[in-house]
Amino acid sequence: MTAAAAAPGAELRPAVKSEARGDSRRRDRNWVLALVALLAAEVVYFSGTVPGFFGGGTGLLALTEQFLDVGAIALGLAVVILTGEIDLSAGTMSSFAGIVMAVLWRDGLEIWVAVVVALLLSAAVGALNGLIITVFKVDSLLVTLAMQFILGSVATALGGASPPYGFPKSFVSIAGTGTIGPVPNQLIVFAVLALVISLLVGRTRVGRSLTLIGFNRPAARYSGIRVNRTIVGAFVVSGLMAGIGGILVSGLYNAARDDIGNSLLLPGITIAVLGGVDIFGGKGRISGVIVATFVLGFLTEGLLVAGDSSLSATMVTGILLLVCLAFKIGLDHRRGVDDRALVSRRFRRLQSIGDPS
Amino acid sequence: MSQAHRHRTPADQPDTSTITVDAYGERLMSTSPPASTRYVASHVSKAFNGAPVLHDVSAVLEPGEVHSLVGENGAGKSTLFKIMSGLYRPDAGELALGGERLADLTPRGALQKGVYLVPQEPTLMAHLSAAENLYVGALPHRRMPFIVDWSRIHREAATYFERVGLDIDVETPARQLSIAQQQLLECARALVHNCRVIMFDEPTSPLTSHETEILFDLMRVLRGEGLALGFISHRLDEVFEVSDHLTVLRDGRMVASAGRDEITRDQLVTAMIGRPIGVRTRVRRTSDVTDRREVLKVEGLSSRPTFEDVSFVLTKHEVAGLAGLVGSGRTEIAETIFGLRKADHGEVWLDGEPLEHRTPRRCIDAGLVYLPEDRGRNGIFSDVDLARNVTAGIVPRLPLRWHLISTAREEAVARDSAARTSVRAASLGASISTLSGGNQQRAMFSRWLLAEPRVAIFDEPTRGVDIGAKDDIYDIISDLATSGLACLIISSDLEELALTCDRVLVIYEGRIVGEVRDEDVTTARLGELVVGGGRG
Repeated sequence: MTAAAAAPGAELRPAVKSEARGDSRRRDRNWVLALVALLAAEVVYFSGTVPGFFGGGTGLLALTEQFLDVGAIALGLAVVILTGEIDLSAGTMSSFAGIVMAVLWRDGLEIWVAVVVALLLSAAVGALNGLIITVFKVDSLLVTLAMQFILGSVATALGGASPPYGFPKSFVSIAGTGTIGPVPNQLIVFAVLALVISLLVGRTRVGRSLTLIGFNRPAARYSGIRVNRTIVGAFVVSGLMAGIGGILVSGLYNAARDDIGNSLLLPGITIAVLGGVDIFGGKGRISGVIVATFVLGFLTEGLLVAGDSSLSATMVTGILLLVCLAFKIGLDHRRGVDDRALVSRRFRRLQSIGDPS
Repeated sequence: MSQAHRHRTPADQPDTSTITVDAYGERLMSTSPPASTRYVASHVSKAFNGAPVLHDVSAVLEPGEVHSLVGENGAGKSTLFKIMSGLYRPDAGELALGGERLADLTPRGALQKGVYLVPQEPTLMAHLSAAENLYVGALPHRRMPFIVDWSRIHREAATYFERVGLDIDVETPARQLSIAQQQLLECARALVHNCRVIMFDEPTSPLTSHETEILFDLMRVLRGEGLALGFISHRLDEVFEVSDHLTVLRDGRMVASAGRDEITRDQLVTAMIGRPIGVRTRVRRTSDVTDRREVLKVEGLSSRPTFEDVSFVLTKHEVAGLAGLVGSGRTEIAETIFGLRKADHGEVWLDGEPLEHRTPRRCIDAGLVYLPEDRGRNGIFSDVDLARNVTAGIVPRLPLRWHLISTAREEAVARDSAARTSVRAASLGASISTLSGGNQQRAMFSRWLLAEPRVAIFDEPTRGVDIGAKDDIYDIISDLATSGLACLIISSDLEELALTCDRVLVIYEGRIVGEVRDEDVTTARLGELVVGGGRG
């Protein structure tokens, strides 16, 4: 087909240099910049007021080990949330993966083989989540809630009264508390994961499908995007990342934990949302999620180091989330984005689940 | 808080005082209908997403008159009625009923004031009975609250049905009623609520001529009873037959308002389309092309009960049309060809190859694209920038560098394609919702140009597009056909089909009932066929 003889009257500047108002990519970028500023302010504040927080920089780096497992889970959750779905099974998926790995290792399997098997299983359960959601057209909220219970009880049953502990040194070093110089190995693992997920979402065809589905699912279908396949893929990623989170938890404590599932899920969702991922899908950048991991992590750890109870740290987390959301909604409102429209979009989608087409 | 529902006892019963009943079914007071029900809309303006739809429009619905709004698609007729019935809130302007100013009107408020809009497509509860539908939102009850007075409902429903000429059992489920019966039921509903102003939004477009006559008879009776009636229709014959007063809208502005006898048909048409008739030239190409290879073949496609046994062929360079009423199955046929819906039977061939297990992706890759009817819902990603909207149809073919999408090359591709359809935008990064309807549609065309199709189905290609951009879109389609694309245009706008198509297939109730070619493609001929007439 040759070019339609249209008058070349259109002067289109490249988006990257655009100063135009309403540039959708720029808005997300501004949110990430705001988070970076918040992170900087937070680190400066705690370093100045809480002795032992900064610790010559090494202390600061060492603190990251306490929350990078949640960061891994949040990266996976972000992928699912970008499509407009949700994965409530991510927390107990971590427990499940940790326990499976530990039990296999106790029963004689090489530790790294056990890790691979546990991760494959997590990915498979993620695929199962996705298949149930897309094939039977059930809301992901319900399917993954059910999966949360199932995985939690399976983990507890497998682990028995005292789950395995005392893993080989090499494992504890890489997945847990080892460092290269002042840099914790976990931070390196997280950096790799963050880079991979970032590129996956921002720069691959699959990632493009993910976000377009999140922005407007029917339009994605009409544009030829394989909606179901992509959503199953998102749940596989979420399962895998939750599995990795579980391995990191096991390394950190040098023991499999069947009891921490949901205490990972909620901070995970918080990080994704704080990172600017729209809970209704579409909008958001992985870079925001990465920064949010540190914003939330340092906040929690700063309060703990200062001697506050974990309860008050949790409360501050909740307040931070509310303030950020209010701020974001306020910004959207000024731009004329109607959040009620977003809510109604979500409900329209729920309604259309029973629709045969 | 007393939510007052009104019930009017049927006219043929001796005791005809109107009663206001409170939420517990107690009689509060007797009211008589307001003396004057002149309904005035003055200087109303309305914009959607910054696109003006109505600009400073005024209309007066007088008691005992039928007032018609006339205008092209998108002229703002329905919007005005929707504002007057509280569905939309005007950006500026006032509504006044019988001298009383109506501020912040809601649909419920309008009903309580006695204003009713019979919507374009009746919105009955499919699973409730006809009688229940009549009283939805205002079920009368016995002395005890929450106990529905079914005997009263059935008794009264029967009299209302008789009054509007609806000959059905009161317990018939609404889903079994024809469109015409549903409309009469809507009228009865207005009477139940003691409405003094009833507006009809294009009631006749899905009706046969006989059904239309029944509706008009009812409208004349209601007019005789002193009700103020509003009416929208595309068919000028009907407008002249039933109206007392005509208001013409064009591009959201009021361009004429006159009594029926003060305006001629030609004046009306000129006012409607803004230029003398016949000046708009046919963009359709004559058959000067020799390469008429068959590109798309559809055979025996069925999806009961929506459509059945649909067969046709599209050839290279051809612009064919698919005409039919809303609900005739035309969009469903297109969506089935494109793999969005499953067919019971039938096959689709593209360039002689069967297209089996169709999904949108497979169709696009094979060279078949579909431009959906509802651009806002199924076409654009409104929060996404123009570039990614344009490339959304070719995600699996996006240019890569080191296995990652090359943003620069993607933008170059998007820019070229957008330039081919002359999309006007601040930048490629502007979110598409900031573009006008016409530019959004151009962006949709550039999305599908990128897929390098051999067959394109355009469903309502100029819906929600301003008049100027319409002609541009016709030019784009015509150029595409010249370059070899086989096009199928689905449209409710018969004039559009007459202007652009070499050949038009007519669908009536899910079957192809006719085909007109070349010089026979006229608005009048198509108009007969789409309502199931003119066969044999």
